Amino acid sequence: METVIKQSGKTQVFKDKANKVMGISLEDAKLTKSYLSVAFLAILLGGILGLLQGLNRAGMLELPAWLNYYQVLTAHGLLLVVVLSAFFTIGYFYAGLSHTLGGLLPKVRKMAWIGFWMKVFGFVLAVIPILMNEASVMYTFYPPMAASPVFYIGLVFIVLGVWMCAFGSFINVASWRKKNPGQHIPILSFFATGVFVLLFFGSIPVAIEVFTIIPWAFGWVETINVMVARTLFWAFGHTLVNIWYLTAVSAWYVIVPKVIGGRRWNDLLTRIVVIALVIMNITGGFHHQIIDPGISEPVKYMHVFMSLAIGFPSLMTAYAMFAVFERTARKKGGRGLVGWYKKLPWGDVRFLAPFIAMAAFIPAGAGGIVQSTNQLNQVVHNTMWIVGHFHLTLGMSVVMTFFGLSYWLIPYVSKRVLTPQINKLGVIQTIIWTLGMIIMSGAMHWVGLLGSPRRTSYSTYFDNATALSWDPYLFFLAIGGTLLMIGVLMQVYAVFYLMFFAPKGNTEFPIAEVEEDEAPTPRWTERWGLWVVCMIVLVGMAYVIPLVDFIVNAPPGSPPYKTW
Amino acid sequence: MMKSPVYGLLLLLALILPPAANLLESIMITHMHMQMPLLVISGLFMAKFFQNRFPGFFSKWNENGVPGLLLFSIIMVYWSLPRTMDEALTLTSVEVFKFISLPFLAGVPLRDSWPKLSSFWKHALIIFFTILFLALGWLYIWSPVQLCNNYLVIEQITLGWGFISTAFAMVVYLIYSYFMDFSKYE
Ligand code: HEM
Ligand SMILES: [Cu+2]
Repeated sequence: METVIKQSGKTQVFKDKANKVMGISLEDAKLTKSYLSVAFLAILLGGILGLLQGLNRAGMLELPAWLNYYQVLTAHGLLLVVVLSAFFTIGYFYAGLSHTLGGLLPKVRKMAWIGFWMKVFGFVLAVIPILMNEASVMYTFYPPMAASPVFYIGLVFIVLGVWMCAFGSFINVASWRKKNPGQHIPILSFFATGVFVLLFFGSIPVAIEVFTIIPWAFGWVETINVMVARTLFWAFGHTLVNIWYLTAVSAWYVIVPKVIGGRRWNDLLTRIVVIALVIMNITGGFHHQIIDPGISEPVKYMHVFMSLAIGFPSLMTAYAMFAVFERTARKKGGRGLVGWYKKLPWGDVRFLAPFIAMAAFIPAGAGGIVQSTNQLNQVVHNTMWIVGHFHLTLGMSVVMTFFGLSYWLIPYVSKRVLTPQINKLGVIQTIIWTLGMIIMSGAMHWVGLLGSPRRTSYSTYFDNATALSWDPYLFFLAIGGTLLMIGVLMQVYAVFYLMFFAPKGNTEFPIAEVEEDEAPTPRWTERWGLWVVCMIVLVGMAYVIPLVDFIVNAPPGSPPYKTW
Repeated sequence: MMKSPVYGLLLLLALILPPAANLLESIMITHMHMQMPLLVISGLFMAKFFQNRFPGFFSKWNENGVPGLLLFSIIMVYWSLPRTMDEALTLTSVEVFKFISLPFLAGVPLRDSWPKLSSFWKHALIIFFTILFLALGWLYIWSPVQLCNNYLVIEQITLGWGFISTAFAMVVYLIYSYFMDFSKYE
């Protein structure tokens, strides 16, 4: 199998010559390697905890008193949702910035390192109270449940660490623009800019939330406004979800076409998708609060509309991807209405994993539309259906894309090559993961429809007949979880093998070119200041009315509760 | 080629329709921050029609764009007063004036002026509106009394925060354009 990908064509202009000949600089490589190592250690730990939960839910394992279900669940959520995704996203995009902008500025590299240690420090602070059973508040951590203040202080450091990386990327992009007047930001850095804009603006609400929680958790103030805190949390939580999605989308548009030997989708439309996702994202947060009290019906209705609007760029993406696949396959001699698919490189894990990830987004997106609909949300809210949904979106669409990226990104930063054996391992891993997720999330969706609640340790509710009827599905959940655990072990093995033991060699950073006859992209796509302003105005439209209502007409606040 | 004025006119007509107008005017913030900007936008779309029809008028009276800018600002300031909003709801003549003045005396001149203005004037306009919006936000939020007969105090406060968040967006834009010299990319 060929692991060295040939580069040619237009984007050459954008690249630093040295970068091409020698690959990534050792210092930039070290940064990305560190971020990715943490990411994959998080998936290892998180996977083990996930399996414990799965076995418990199936009634097959009783957790010991010193490590209860809710501790495990909090750690699983934080490890996978915050640590894995943040560290992978930053490691990947910093490698992308380094590659497409001709290396990171020394200042920026330093910022990314400070950010790294702030996040690690913050995470350690947050984990200590979880282990002590002082912070079993789940990764959503909003009031009225209150954890030890140390937990929230840890979160502050994580947010500050993320901001360091966001500003680092802005500085690097701005300096590149100064040196390359009149040129478009290279497409992968364009995606990175979008992602870091969202990371920064999306984490402002959660920073405000945490700063109001800390005095409350210390007991300096007695009560807190629960609705405001929840709303601020979801403005962030929802944005975070879409940040990983946008990260995965960047790979679909930019990397995958190169891996299959094709060209990428229209540059202008790609940039419009990024801009649309950046502008419209934050306001989606309310769809997590569809059955919250205290929000008037018209506001909820407006938010359903705002949420579904995000579906539009997603549909554009689906169209674009299949167009690229078909075009490439036909160029390679693919024939017939559907027969062209045979020409795609199914045996290459760098294609197979992200392809299945994209395919998984079809049912995952459909489920998302279901949940955004008021009446249907009432049926599935807080049931296992939701857990099934985000294992499909995150655990499949996003994480499998990350897996697929790791098979060239890690060799690229460690100056090694992907061997045929590891490629084969990757293909098998992809199949196991696919089966595991289909079984697990299928069972979760179904048992959720039958009423099984999420975030609940195993219980038969005094042998209630309905609760007993969930058991067969929960058993499937455990089978799927076991398969996934095998997948985790294979993936982590592949990652560290590629990082430290694979044969030395040169792996290229696969970035697809645009079609030759494409019209030049107009300049207005570069007006990030304007997009940010549009985003703020939209956020204002979405949040001013309900927030003022929550604050001015506030019910009595809530004291801190420890429910566990 | 002359499509955009038609769209502008359609938008204006849609906004005049009584159900649409009543809906948007029933909430203070959508009245001022949705209906009024949409009226201005309809004017932006229709401007081409007038520019083509009366080229002499625009080049004579709005040579460097500043007169149009002033007209736009006066109309906008007029419609940010609580009193005028109230009157639009009670006096039909004022309501009619709103549907005429915002598209034709604010939207059209803005469209004609903007390309003619130097970046000094463009920034001056944004700074002016940022300060105005901060002041209005302050007024609507901390006013001790109900300013409009037609809207409750809670709506007034909501509108105030709407002004503050719009001002914040403009501040972000100003900071951005201060650090990024966009002329290099045009
Ligand atoms: C070995 C693979 C995995 C297994 C067996 C697994 C299993 C589970 C189970 C059983 C739950 C608990 C459901 C409940 O009681 O509400 C859960 C929750 C969760 N999982 Fe996983 N999972 C795995 C991988 C992942 C991945 C890759 C992600 C995301 C990147 C993820 C994200 C989450 C989140 C966010 C929660 C919700 C936590 C909460 O409700 O507070 N999981 N998982
Ligand atoms: Cu969401």
